[in-house]
Amino acid sequence: MHVLGILDGGAGEETVERCLDRLVSELGGRGRVGVVRYDATIADGLHMPETGPAAGSDVTYELGADGDWLASGTGLSIDEALDSLAPDCAYAVVVGVPSLAEPAVVVGDADAEGETIAAVSGPGELDPAAVADAIERHEPRETLESLVREVKGSPRAERAGAIATFTGRVRAKDAPDDARTEALEFEKYDGVADRRLHAIREELEAREGVYEVRLHHRTGVVRDGEDIVFVVVLAGHREEAFATVEDGINRLKSEVPLFKKEITVDDEFWVHDRP
Amino acid sequence: MHVEWKLFADLAEHADDRTVAVEVASGATVGEALEELLSDRPALADRVRTDGGLAGDVSVLKNGADLGGDLDDELESGDELALLPPVSGG
Repeated sequence: MHVLGILDGGAGEETVERCLDRLVSELGGRGRVGVVRYDATIADGLHMPETGPAAGSDVTYELGADGDWLASGTGLSIDEALDSLAPDCAYAVVVGVPSLAEPAVVVGDADAEGETIAAVSGPGELDPAAVADAIERHEPRETLESLVREVKGSPRAERAGAIATFTGRVRAKDAPDDARTEALEFEKYDGVADRRLHAIREELEAREGVYEVRLHHRTGVVRDGEDIVFVVVLAGHREEAFATVEDGINRLKSEVPLFKKEITVDDEFWVHDRP
Repeated sequence: MHVEWKLFADLAEHADDRTVAVEVASGATVGEALEELLSDRPALADRVRTDGGLAGDVSVLKNGADLGGDLDDELESGDELALLPPVSGG
């Protein structure tokens, strides 16, 4: 899923909405689009859909004809909202979140804190196709579930009786008295890393009984407890699924030019310096 | 002619730069482009050089392919060279 931010840089809510409409309409022509709006005034009991949540519930879905729905609930972060969209949306637009890791369109004159794709004064200046092309060049957001969903859609899925997955995550401690790891920061040799990942995928997919392989590694800062890397294998039977998922992560770790800096409560160091 | 070095992780920190364009004579080797890179970057030179040549944990790539420590490869204009510490993904 490709993610785009849209921020109000002083143009006002109505102008931002008209820009959002144009962007969603362009992206909707390319795939399914999710929109996540951040609004600090949303609070439990306010802004509720038609009938509101069932009393005492934490999440309420209201379903209508043809699968149309409304939802409300508590305890959802921006990241969790995006992760829940990733399996079945090709695009997501996040409205009003300046700290988003993905690039944004800024409507108005103010500078954004993250990467800006376009700064416009209003919808007339916006080139939605160019914005869509730009976010497609940016690293997509993947989750274990989005990759599993993708391999299940394989044309060869009818021959597949197994999916094996590996998830690598940030380990806070390797021993009880370890200084706690707060985050890892990954740097990638762009282009070369992607070519090697692609070569590993093709070689593994050429194995007898292996139908689809996906390898995805995040870059930038990944915090304690978050997922770093996924390997997903769709195969005929469990034996080749297990063997391939293990070979996939081992090859990724030894062949792909990715570099990891560890940030602990006490220190900061490149992991290859302290093997 | 121009060739570009890409530097990663602690090597980029030692050089205070992630990409460095160097000027070498036409037909120059990778080793000569490395000398050019290290000539005015003593911190990087200390990290990358040992008595016998290149430090054991540093790899040199030309256009994405690992040269396996062979620095005699001839360069063409526009080649991309890279200096890498050991990979540590996952």
